[in-house]
Amino acid sequence: MTYNIAATQPHLTDQRPHKGKLTQAKKITASGLSEAEAIERAKGGDAESFEALYGLHKRRVYSLCLRMTGNTAEAEDLTQEAFLQLYRKIATFRGESAFSTWLHRLAVNVVLMHLRKKGLPEVSLDEALEPQHDDGPKKDIGARDIVLAGSIDRVNLERAIESLPPGYRIIFVLHDVEGYEHNEIAEMMGCSIGNSKSQLHKARMKLRDLLKLSRAEKAARH
Amino acid sequence: MTETRVVPVAPNAASGTRIERLGRVFLVFAVVLTGAVANAQSQPQTGRKEIRFDVAPNGTINLVNDAGLVTLKTGPGHQVVMIYSPHSNKMEVDRESTPDNRRVEIRSHALNGQQPTAEEAKVDMELTVPAGVAMSVSTSTAPITAEGLAGDVTLSSDTGQITVANMVRSHLHVRSVAGPVNLTNLSLGHVDVTSSGGAVKMVNVTGPKVNVATGSGNIIYQGDCSGVGDYLITTHSGDIDMTLPQTASVDLNARSVSGHVENDFPLQAKKHPVFVPKAGSSFAGTSNSGSSSVELRSFSGRIRVKKQ
Amino acid sequence: MNCQQFQEVLPYIIESGGNEEEEAHLRSCPSCAELVRDLRYIAEQAKLLLPMHDPNPRVWNNIEQSLHQEGLLPEGRMSRQGHTMTYPTPTQSKSWTPIGWLMALAALTVFAAVLVNYKPSLPAAQSTAQNSSTQPAQLATDDQQVIGQMSQEDPGVRRAYEDGLREADAYISDAEQAVKLDPQDAVAQEELVEAHAQKEMLYQMAAARSLQ
Repeated sequence: MTYNIAATQPHLTDQRPHKGKLTQAKKITASGLSEAEAIERAKGGDAESFEALYGLHKRRVYSLCLRMTGNTAEAEDLTQEAFLQLYRKIATFRGESAFSTWLHRLAVNVVLMHLRKKGLPEVSLDEALEPQHDDGPKKDIGARDIVLAGSIDRVNLERAIESLPPGYRIIFVLHDVEGYEHNEIAEMMGCSIGNSKSQLHKARMKLRDLLKLSRAEKAARH
Repeated sequence: MTETRVVPVAPNAASGTRIERLGRVFLVFAVVLTGAVANAQSQPQTGRKEIRFDVAPNGTINLVNDAGLVTLKTGPGHQVVMIYSPHSNKMEVDRESTPDNRRVEIRSHALNGQQPTAEEAKVDMELTVPAGVAMSVSTSTAPITAEGLAGDVTLSSDTGQITVANMVRSHLHVRSVAGPVNLTNLSLGHVDVTSSGGAVKMVNVTGPKVNVATGSGNIIYQGDCSGVGDYLITTHSGDIDMTLPQTASVDLNARSVSGHVENDFPLQAKKHPVFVPKAGSSFAGTSNSGSSSVELRSFSGRIRVKKQ
Repeated sequence: MNCQQFQEVLPYIIESGGNEEEEAHLRSCPSCAELVRDLRYIAEQAKLLLPMHDPNPRVWNNIEQSLHQEGLLPEGRMSRQGHTMTYPTPTQSKSWTPIGWLMALAALTVFAAVLVNYKPSLPAAQSTAQNSSTQPAQLATDDQQVIGQMSQEDPGVRRAYEDGLREADAYISDAEQAVKLDPQDAVAQEELVEAHAQKEMLYQMAAARSLQ
């Protein structure tokens, strides 16, 4: 995978429509329609407008699916399914939230439903709750080692996220990357808020291990 | 002679009223006319024409009709019955035959100097051909529907839907750029479909040879893969969905390079598999006596096999 | 409070803050302080990750196909041609045809005379420069020549060939990689042949079209 290192372009860091801080800038589609206009037309069945909405939101939806599944082919399937559901349901969009929020939530549900159907442990937090002795994060008791803060290369962060066990990855992506709150995650995943917090902590601990390891390897090479 | 009664009215009011009425009538006609042109299935200007001509018993008919409809059927006798309806008087249909009638060429085209619009360029054609006559049909956007044909049939379209039903012991070749292909009740013949982006759906299509290949088009198969046939279904990035009855007798191999593979159909593991199955990416097995060989291949599409 | 006790409650207090005892431990324990700093830093950096990947254009093709197959769209591609086509809404299905037939019948008396001079106000086909948000890959020179010969064709047909050629090129590329990975893999070789056959089909059909 190739990565866009936003760290080198600090002026771009505020432009991501982070949940809760959505950019309200007027998005213009390739055909010159505003997003609001495209939504209204798409509700009426206008295919061009739907295509325009796809163009505006495909990247975010696909990136979400890719980060949550770690698999390109699955991410493409899920992106397709999310937009098909969008087409079927757009008439029900009332504007109570921003359209991107609504679509994003729809995409998350598509991914979670897919993972549930697969019956993989990705969505069973019970398994993730048990200490994973082989690859679980290690408790950091009184040891001081490589300082991490201020040193993360976002390329490595993406790679580290990709290599997280699926259960950790989902929670981490939903909370820290996409900005969902624990109560929302708990509702989506069918677990308690405490579980969600616990798993997020383990995901971050695991990432800390992976990133420190990566940093140590880098240091050893130089 | 008709007597006209004149009703005296106040001059200005009368003419004003009449003008208003005429204006309203004109407005209604204008609205109705605009709607008719924009929305209605327009009646062809020139009406239906029917012609009959001979074709040799094992002859070939080549038909080219870019836009409109093409319908093919089989009929008795040795003559071809062609009924066609141009949507405008800017189009005509030419027919040429070799002296022995072994080859007949039919082509619709715009008249010299005419530049028909997309709608005006349409010609609807219906051919009833004797059994055994080979057909080759090419369209651009016109859908092709073929029912009950026998012999060699080649159908190709850029974006028109191709629908074929009820063929027995025939050779069917289909080529599509982006139009969907629907095949129903084709048996004991050779079926060869190549589609770039058009989806292919097969219901009760059986061998001895069925080859379907798409680029990005999805492929759906519902049937029993009977006929002791060879079924090769491949796609680059489309999805393959196959539904088999419990009674299907197949030797089934499925693999996708990067797509997901699911099997919900009971198979016995092979003693000597050609490849080592990998969960989620490939599987192989036999059902009943494994009479027909079925290969499902995809690069990045999903493959699913289900029980009926 | 020792480090173990602190780290056991850390998942539940890292965002909201702890009680006095927990905060006191954090102030006094460099190791736990560093841990909390690292975890918060990871969370902050994650928030800055941008959506970076566009899906393959085939995703859109599949969406179109699915909508056609479900009957939510009529036959043919979604309009990229400048035609303002109104499709049935997803929650209702309307058909213009009965209304159109009624209108045609009502207008039949003036239809012949007016149509001779009437130019339908259907929007002219626009170039395919519209909606370039998917930014498909550039076609190879040979492919561009093939498309160039189809300048007189329906824009939807041209677009279908363009998409088909891109898809065929992607297929060939994938198949070549597969053969490279395992030159002995007979299936990979067959796939490569099939990929070329797809492209050949497109060339043949395009050539036949331009001859016509």
